Amino acid sequence: MIWLTWRQFRAQAITAAAALAAFAIVLAAAEPSLSGLYHSSGFASCHGAACTGLASTFINDLASGGGIAGVPGTIYTILYLLSVVVILIAPAIIGIFWGAPLIARELEAGTFQLTWNQSVTRTRWLAVKLALIAVAAMAVTEAFSLIQAWWAAPIGRAVGLGGSGSILDETRFGVFVFPTHGITPLGYAAFGFALGVTAGLLVRRAIPAMAITLAIFAAAQLITPALIRPNLFPTSQTVTTIAAAGANVSLKANPKLAFTATTVPSHPGAWIISSGGVNAAGQPVTTMPAACEPAVSRTFRGVKVPAGTGPGALLAPVNNCVASHGIRVAENYQPASHYWPLQWSETGMFLALALALTGFCFWRLNRRRS
Amino acid sequence: MTAVIETAGLGKRYRTKWALSDCTLSIPAGHVAGLVGPNGAGKTTLINLATGMLAPSAGTIEVLGGRPIDGPAQLARVGYLAQDAPLYAGLPVADHLRLGAHLNPGWDADLARHRVERLGLHPRQKAGTLSGGQRGQLALTLAVAKRPELLILDEPVASLDPLARREFLQDLMEAVAERQVSVVLSSHLISDMERACDYVIVLVDSRVRVAGAVDELLAAHHLLSGPRRDPASLPDRVEVVAASHTDVQSTLLVRTSGPVLDPAWTVSEVGLEDLVLAYMKQAAGPTPRNSHRRLEVRK
Repeated sequence: MIWLTWRQFRAQAITAAAALAAFAIVLAAAEPSLSGLYHSSGFASCHGAACTGLASTFINDLASGGGIAGVPGTIYTILYLLSVVVILIAPAIIGIFWGAPLIARELEAGTFQLTWNQSVTRTRWLAVKLALIAVAAMAVTEAFSLIQAWWAAPIGRAVGLGGSGSILDETRFGVFVFPTHGITPLGYAAFGFALGVTAGLLVRRAIPAMAITLAIFAAAQLITPALIRPNLFPTSQTVTTIAAAGANVSLKANPKLAFTATTVPSHPGAWIISSGGVNAAGQPVTTMPAACEPAVSRTFRGVKVPAGTGPGALLAPVNNCVASHGIRVAENYQPASHYWPLQWSETGMFLALALALTGFCFWRLNRRRS
Repeated sequence: MTAVIETAGLGKRYRTKWALSDCTLSIPAGHVAGLVGPNGAGKTTLINLATGMLAPSAGTIEVLGGRPIDGPAQLARVGYLAQDAPLYAGLPVADHLRLGAHLNPGWDADLARHRVERLGLHPRQKAGTLSGGQRGQLALTLAVAKRPELLILDEPVASLDPLARREFLQDLMEAVAERQVSVVLSSHLISDMERACDYVIVLVDSRVRVAGAVDELLAAHHLLSGPRRDPASLPDRVEVVAASHTDVQSTLLVRTSGPVLDPAWTVSEVGLEDLVLAYMKQAAGPTPRNSHRRLEVRK
């Protein structure tokens, strides 16, 4: 059975190995310039408070291509985004091209009648196929992730030390970074593969099963960061001043009161899930104090931002006005220390889903038995 | 006499439609048994139930005394050649043999290799490029080389041209003779049955119309022709299978345990094809149910 699995999987395995090799070669070729900038920018050898500024300089230079000789401007932005997208879609590709046809092709071509009438039970046939290919799926996806993590390590360090201001500054809780690093790729790979196999078994035709696999996997990838990941582990709450939360009052929400908090005091690297206004008594405040409306309209009129100032400077009068009414920011967040518990929870959740789908496949395959 | 396939009240329903219902039959071991019947009689459904490709909706089926596909040992005892001989189009001939060797503990590698050599198949040729006859014979090689006790073939020659059909059946006969294996094959081509089978089961509308060893059936059936008369006037031990009348003459196909002595009749032998067709035609008209029962019990 192992021989047959390998024989039928050989072409896909070679394709995956080639893709992995190409991925590694491209990133390795781009690595010297990246680490060159890492060292020449002074960020590599920085200490203490100096690092935040150097980190921002480093990733901004990297994103725009400044400071690197002989490469097109945004090549590192493109490479970074592409490499993350590859890891993000690898489980979907695996589900579509390895999972969906696994049983569906046999049913379509009638070859199940050949294989299932050898002296091997269907349970064993499926067990060997699923086990070997699932391991391959997880290994390939995790290999993509590890290669990318090695390559992007300076970027990760820069973001971790507070570097910001470019498209590369997504933290490790970010919607693109979290599911492509750590151990989550293992869970997504197993889930994508099992999903494909199940769709193939149910639909019995490879092409529709591929489409269904893609649709469901994409939905899972969209729903997870928005609705599931924040709640996989109990969140922490804190109430702090607008300034301490690095928050700005959202003008778009006016007359409702909303904030976009950026930091949690004494919890660097925390993932802020939601933030909202509260008064001195701790009650939620959802409307803009009427006294602050003049400040809001003044800000609107002066939307031409003076050179060298961020939105913070522009919004300062509004922020100050809201703060002066005793309104503070309640933050709902996952501290940085929850990174690995969340990684384990999300991976565990997708592995459990994959196991449930696999169990269903075994049951379904044997249900036709007399 | 042990049975290779034994069913009781067997039925298979697809949503609301019964493809096979209340089928009770027993196919004895040691024969090349032909399962004949018109399209839609339930032959393929019966075979799919026997090979465990389908699970019954009603009744029971036993193959070689066990439940179909109940574990690797039971799987090893039954060889199956499905309709249109499914093979992996992308795999070469040699890999199909390797597949058989890896998946069957009782695999007879010498037999498989000799057969492939004799058939003139190149080991590196992809199965997808083989002709229909070659596909059938490679699939048969896989089924035979696992050394089963029972070989089940579903319409093995339906898609072959007459020459390939004859070669395939000859090949099957040789393989069977070497291995002492029981065979059940379905076909709607009665002439092929005649060449290959020594036992025949006529299945119409899920019911066994007649079943028996071919030589016994031929010995028990006669074609009578003579002046027109009412078939009811025949002795009790003579059962009329089919009757046709002109104004002055009656032609009867009868089944009888003894010789026909009435001098009014001209008695002639009947061929298997005519015999089978006569039983198949019975389906069209209403036949008394107890006559099926008699036939079934007779086995």
